[in-house]
Amino acid sequence: MPVSIGWLKCRVGGFSLEADWHIEEGEVLVLFGPSGAGKTTTLRAIAGLVRPEEGRVELGGRVVYDSAGHISVPVHRRQVGYLTQQYHLFPHLNVAGNIAYGLPDRRQPDARGTVERLAKMLRLEGLEDRYAWQLSGGQQQRVALARALATNPQLLLLDEPFASLDNELRRELRRELRAMLVDSPIPVILVTHDREEALALGDSVQVIDGGRIVDQGEPLRVLGQPGRGRVARLAGVENLLTMTVESRNPQDGTMICIGGSVKLEVPLDAAPSAQSDGPEQRENITVGIRSSDIILASEEPRGTSARNRLPGTVTTVDPRPPGYEVNLDCGIPLKAQVTGAAMSEMGIRPGQNIWAVFKASSCFLVQEEMTSPSA
Amino acid sequence: MMGARLARLRRVPGLPVAGIFGPAATVIYLLFIGLPVLALLIRAAQHGNFLTGLVSDLALTALRLSLITSGISMGIILLVGTPFAYLLARNTSWILRIVDSLIELPIVLPPVVAGVAMLMAFGRQGVLGPVLETLGISLPFTTGAVVFAQIFVAAPFYIRSAKLGFQSVARDYEDISQTLGISPWGTFWRLTVPLAAPSLLTGFALAWARSLSEFGATIMFAGNLMGKTQTMPLAIMTAMESSLDSALALSVLLLAGSVTILIGLGLATRPKWQNRL
Repeated sequence: MPVSIGWLKCRVGGFSLEADWHIEEGEVLVLFGPSGAGKTTTLRAIAGLVRPEEGRVELGGRVVYDSAGHISVPVHRRQVGYLTQQYHLFPHLNVAGNIAYGLPDRRQPDARGTVERLAKMLRLEGLEDRYAWQLSGGQQQRVALARALATNPQLLLLDEPFASLDNELRRELRRELRAMLVDSPIPVILVTHDREEALALGDSVQVIDGGRIVDQGEPLRVLGQPGRGRVARLAGVENLLTMTVESRNPQDGTMICIGGSVKLEVPLDAAPSAQSDGPEQRENITVGIRSSDIILASEEPRGTSARNRLPGTVTTVDPRPPGYEVNLDCGIPLKAQVTGAAMSEMGIRPGQNIWAVFKASSCFLVQEEMTSPSA
Repeated sequence: MMGARLARLRRVPGLPVAGIFGPAATVIYLLFIGLPVLALLIRAAQHGNFLTGLVSDLALTALRLSLITSGISMGIILLVGTPFAYLLARNTSWILRIVDSLIELPIVLPPVVAGVAMLMAFGRQGVLGPVLETLGISLPFTTGAVVFAQIFVAAPFYIRSAKLGFQSVARDYEDISQTLGISPWGTFWRLTVPLAAPSLLTGFALAWARSLSEFGATIMFAGNLMGKTQTMPLAIMTAMESSLDSALALSVLLLAGSVTILIGLGLATRPKWQNRL
């Protein structure tokens, strides 16, 4: 049962880092955060390439690092597969040579069998004699993965595996990797700053910022409607509105907020003041709405269950693959995400009058004050 | 594609200096280097006694001594220079940076000065002279002194090139290799050395050529004793006084060796993955 657990404290220059993790068999843990947050350092410390100040790293039931017990297994005996952003295929070896590199008996027939099996599994057949520069980015990635898998790793560390690929390829390879990881019992830690990637690949996610875990849990919960301001900004929530509470409606589980000239119906907060609400109580709150949750309508929509319907005008339209981001002025600035087809069908252009429609449940409350992540 | 080709056609080859002075300078330079080389070959051919000159006692003895001493020198340079170059490439401490900037001193130092300096260190009157004497070692004017002189002047060529070669191997490669279960030592041999091989070979060839041609430091520190310290360059000088045949034969031999090294460098140091690290 290849389970990996551990915790680490590292200090690199003036930067301090704390990490802890618990990964079950076949699970993918995503470390999500901006560059410089300490994600790569965490991976390198687990692999043994960076020496932590303290900590304990267990891989498949084997302790490979324990500061208390003065255990530090050298990198080459840790059985960790590590994929870097640029893959770093060895340029003096061809594909077969790269895959076989870590095999102890790489000149034996057994090794040839392993190479063949991995080449087949990762669709690299026929490329065995090529060199790194003769391969596409996706092929290079698969060779790097095959090379790592050949050594039977207890844990796979993937550092921004799609960062150097273009958008389209990235989507395709993400699907492929997902399929591969699902079949494999090897636990994976994947580093990314791409929210989509975290949602697509992660079984669980840790949001890392400034060397600390600021939130963790199930990706859709953590990154879909993030409850903390810092996480919401890291996860790229497009609309974060500062509003005041006007009234609470516990029967519906909603409340009315005001911001600028706009009234919104949003989910009821869990604050204790929910019982003692009164019109004179004006609390500032932050409401988050994902741009993809906002529907645009050219006329006032009638007979809809959506609780929030705001008239406004289009200010600018920016391409944002796979669609467009429409900036609106509805008394408050709003961003909405639409597809190219919707754009041309509705003839959306700057200056146009438009309605923004979204459900109360698409709005979520974002805690702005810094609180330590609750267990 | 078409646009790129047109752009290339219209392209002026650099600044005006390339228009008139460039070709002229090229011709002058090629003649300057080429004429003496050609003259050497012509005269050697005219004398016709190339073989007798070559098999003369003086020439054969010098040739054998040169090969033996430069072989020993290169072995020591490889053994000591390689780990040293690797350390310089990987470590950035200020001490090593200072050491690094001094590495090339023997390249710019006149070889005669190097010879004097070595006499002052290892000579009978030298700083280490008494110590060596109590140990029963006398270095000056021995074959050992020839090796010392060669190492002194030739080692920087290898170390400098090897350092650049090791630097060109990104540490990530070494990291990855170790995560694949290969020990640090194994990684060095299976990854770092092959990837740095072009630079290692270049450095080796340059250092070897330099040690074969060593003259100034050798004559100061080791003297000109036939069979003991008289390497090929010293033998050429000696032969010029008595037998031009031997001098020409040895010169042509050294020239051939140099050309071989040059061609070998071109062939061996351009593997197809170069510039793709």
